[in-house]
Amino acid sequence: MSKHDSRLAVEIAGIRFNNPVMGASGTFGYGLEFAGLIDLNRLGGFATKGLSARPLAGNPPPRIVETHGGMLNAIGLQNVGARAFVEEKLPLLKQYDTRVIANVFGYSDDDYLEAINMLNDGEGIAAYELNISCPNVKEGGIVIGNSPVAAARLTEKAKRASARPLIVKLSPNVTDITLLARAIAEAGADALSLINTLVGMAIDVKTRRPRLNYGTGGLSGPAIRPIAVRMVYEVAKVVNLPLIGIGGIASASDALEFMLAGATLVQIGTANYYDPCVTMKVIDGLKDYCDRQELESLAAVVGAVVEK
Amino acid sequence: MIDTIAIIETNRELTPGYRLLTLNFEQDIEARAGQFAMLKAHAAFEPLLRRALAVYRTPGPRQLSFLYQVMGRGTQALAELGTGGKVEALVPLGNAWPIGDELTAFSSLTGNPPGPAGEATQSDQPHKAIVVVGGIGSASVLMLCAALRAARIETQIFFGAASERVALGCGLEDFRALDLPLRLTSDDGSLGEPGFVTAPLERYLGEGGGAGATIYACGPWVMMRRVAEIAASFKVACLVSLEAPMGCGFGVCVGCVVAVKSDAPLGYESYKRVCVDGSIFPAQRIRWEVNAMTH
Repeated sequence: MSKHDSRLAVEIAGIRFNNPVMGASGTFGYGLEFAGLIDLNRLGGFATKGLSARPLAGNPPPRIVETHGGMLNAIGLQNVGARAFVEEKLPLLKQYDTRVIANVFGYSDDDYLEAINMLNDGEGIAAYELNISCPNVKEGGIVIGNSPVAAARLTEKAKRASARPLIVKLSPNVTDITLLARAIAEAGADALSLINTLVGMAIDVKTRRPRLNYGTGGLSGPAIRPIAVRMVYEVAKVVNLPLIGIGGIASASDALEFMLAGATLVQIGTANYYDPCVTMKVIDGLKDYCDRQELESLAAVVGAVVEK
Repeated sequence: MIDTIAIIETNRELTPGYRLLTLNFEQDIEARAGQFAMLKAHAAFEPLLRRALAVYRTPGPRQLSFLYQVMGRGTQALAELGTGGKVEALVPLGNAWPIGDELTAFSSLTGNPPGPAGEATQSDQPHKAIVVVGGIGSASVLMLCAALRAARIETQIFFGAASERVALGCGLEDFRALDLPLRLTSDDGSLGEPGFVTAPLERYLGEGGGAGATIYACGPWVMMRRVAEIAASFKVACLVSLEAPMGCGFGVCVGCVVAVKSDAPLGYESYKRVCVDGSIFPAQRIRWEVNAMTH
């Protein structure tokens, strides 16, 4: 049975994806939540909610605030823990022809490694995505993602510990993302995904308090897309690793922007909340694009605007 | 749960700021009392997210009605749609109000004993219902009241609103039409007893009205918190329907949580999602000091 259009097939780091469309970490749960809404067998892949060595409760509410063309979140990385994911969620995902990327985070290098070791025991995980950039955690993540030295050190250790290809997810909350990208690439990452959310804040003028319990949060959604596209473009110019583009994608056209800027795959995040079937619509739209542009493969457009 | 585009049959104002939206679906659609939908004008760019509205009633096998208050950008955008307009709907969502025999199963699913304040199981099956409404909280309980009436469970309703005008906007006429015992209050005294709806409730329980009863409450956070306190003091079981700012409405974003009392190690179970673990919760399970609602 071939329900996959070969023009959309793509491979990075030895992993074959039926198409370049993925669900982004934190917006796709553990994948199973979408089983009743979309055909998971058609989805290229998805990144799980960030997994830590131990389960985490997350932040007190309010955890989310809608903004213009986006939203702020301060979820606090609530997750079931790497062990529970491997034992309870992963076995149920095996039946689907979609690539499962396990997103991993920790509060120290050892924390990350412990989570990776737990995930190494699981069957059916295609790669790890290292979250070095979560802006909601007061320690660990925010420091690593801003420092090329710390990020390279962690990447090197994580690569040695990983039984699978390693994707590192970059933070945009830095002065020059190409410095991070180069350091992490040189440290042995197999691919880079970018961007994570941008740190933002909203204030309730009636109560005179921040709208989020945590204070600041991560901004996502269509409003951040121009920043994300620009960063993919900048990184594509300086590294040779495959890139996964993330940031406000809600249509095939949005996805193509990222691909033209240098991304081989894309992740869709916030759009899943208000359009749960968006991943399927984007896959259909990419097929239409191949028809209209008479492309034999979508790979032809990857990095087309990038001068190296 | 389905994600579909529904067509507006009517979207009429009951009183300024309060509207009734009726949607036509292309297929048979079911919703139980207490469930909700995530709604948004089709193909609208702003506001970005859908809005959670309680299912008020089910006029026909392919129709759902939503009673809502225009509070902000999202409800304002919905208010501007007219007959024939298209609405993206993700429905039905959340759990349902349990009545009669369903109460025992509900308690065991939530890991909470059916007795009030987490005490031991009542020896009697609850055989009476006390429904407490605060303003637009009415949207969540009309179907509940109808179901209680159909199941012949003795029901007493306490209905409070800011004023008579607001009460009418919150469906007062529909509640009157149920022909169930109904006590009314209004903040400004224009309807029924002046003051908060919790005052006659407290007197009623003081007179023994809570014996063998379960309280069902929906309204502003502070009202439900007060009802929970009163229920605990009289040792009456109490269920509440919460809401929270929602990102997705189907359990993925983990944004709409409420803080709950938990014995789990590392406090992992400290937060429950209103959209899938609720919206209905045992009142005594909620940590009321952490306000999860914006109003």
